[in-house]
Amino acid sequence: MTDDAEAPAPRPAFAHASEAELARILDFYDVRWTYEPDTFPIGWSLDGDVIESFSPDFYLPDLDMYLELTTLKQSLVRKKNRKLRRLRELYPDVRIKLFYARDFRMLLLKFGRLALAAELSGTVGQATPPRAQAQAGGQEAAARRDARVSPRQADTATDGEVQSDDDDEAADDPADAFGPAGRLDDDPDAGRTPRGRRRGRRRRAAARAASLAAGGPVAESVPPGAPNGFPSTGTLP
Amino acid sequence: MTRTVDLNADIGEVLLTEEVIAAKTAELGRRISEDYAGRQLTLVSVLKGSLPFMADLMRQIDLPLRIDLMEVSSYGGTATESSGLVRIIKDLSASIAGEDVLLVEDIIDTGLTLNYLIRYLKGKGPASLRICTLLDKPARRLVEIPVDYRGFEIPDQFVVGYGLDYGERYRNLRFVGVLRPEVYGEPQ
Repeated sequence: MTDDAEAPAPRPAFAHASEAELARILDFYDVRWTYEPDTFPIGWSLDGDVIESFSPDFYLPDLDMYLELTTLKQSLVRKKNRKLRRLRELYPDVRIKLFYARDFRMLLLKFGRLALAAELSGTVGQATPPRAQAQAGGQEAAARRDARVSPRQADTATDGEVQSDDDDEAADDPADAFGPAGRLDDDPDAGRTPRGRRRGRRRRAAARAASLAAGGPVAESVPPGAPNGFPSTGTLP
Repeated sequence: MTRTVDLNADIGEVLLTEEVIAAKTAELGRRISEDYAGRQLTLVSVLKGSLPFMADLMRQIDLPLRIDLMEVSSYGGTATESSGLVRIIKDLSASIAGEDVLLVEDIIDTGLTLNYLIRYLKGKGPASLRICTLLDKPARRLVEIPVDYRGFEIPDQFVVGYGLDYGERYRNLRFVGVLRPEVYGEPQ
């Protein structure tokens, strides 16, 4: 192998093992994707502050479509569905598809890999083993993501100020189909508790919201119907 | 423990009988014959599931035509390693440049495989490329695919038979049926 051989694209730090699996499937079929590239404000306080946002898991640039993978039990996706309806009301030009736990299970069944669904949903001891490449790539991706929030924005963030869609996933029934136990070990946040991870996400979302309220640039956000400027994470050579 | 396969007993419901499939195939054949009259038609089928449909459909098309077969690898990644990229296991045996190509599929669900194949075949310079599928499961769609000829839109259930398999079994059923969930390990 030569030194100038093209290195594989770094993998982002997936919040959930099922997302990592879906990314592998998209890679296999040569469908380009980016992971959580955009955040859409969907709720505001009377003061105009963003109090609720939605960050779809994947954006598929060639299809101009967002994909949200929710692995909660069907009976527990009410909040997620409400957020999706709200997003569609506010951003009618944004195409988004919600991929439910059942959809994911059926997808794995189609590939004869239904057993993997159980593996992804297992207990802590069954979490996906770490992969060196994913770990390195994940840390880089996390660093890039954090770097997009300026120190000023980060300073203005208040813990718990903004409710993001990730809170829905963790706050409901811990016995859900792919609960927090299914998170990847290679996640740089793996040593933190789920609550700690949520706080980190809240901080970043709050920083984006603060910037929005101040009329400044909003990291990782897009105007309705114009999902541009996505990073190249996950693209194939 | 190896489970004994009882082809018919494993079917919870017959979704499409042999007769219904035959009638629809004849209807599609007539439409295709009209639409492609006077043109150079090549049917391209994707192994293995499309084989029975292809065999029946081509005999319902009253035109001189060519057929060709392709096979692509299916996703089989593990949780710990990448499965790489989809591979063409069997490529076309002749050029389709300048030909009117009709891609014949057994079922479209996510659209992932078909999306890849469409891009691949378009790269070979056909005069036109259309899609014909016996079954369409739009509830599963991830990639929107323009379908030109559609046999049946089916509900979001796991179906086998008439070429469709589960673990390489059930392809030889004459009908399309819904596989009992307990067969693939799901509680009913």
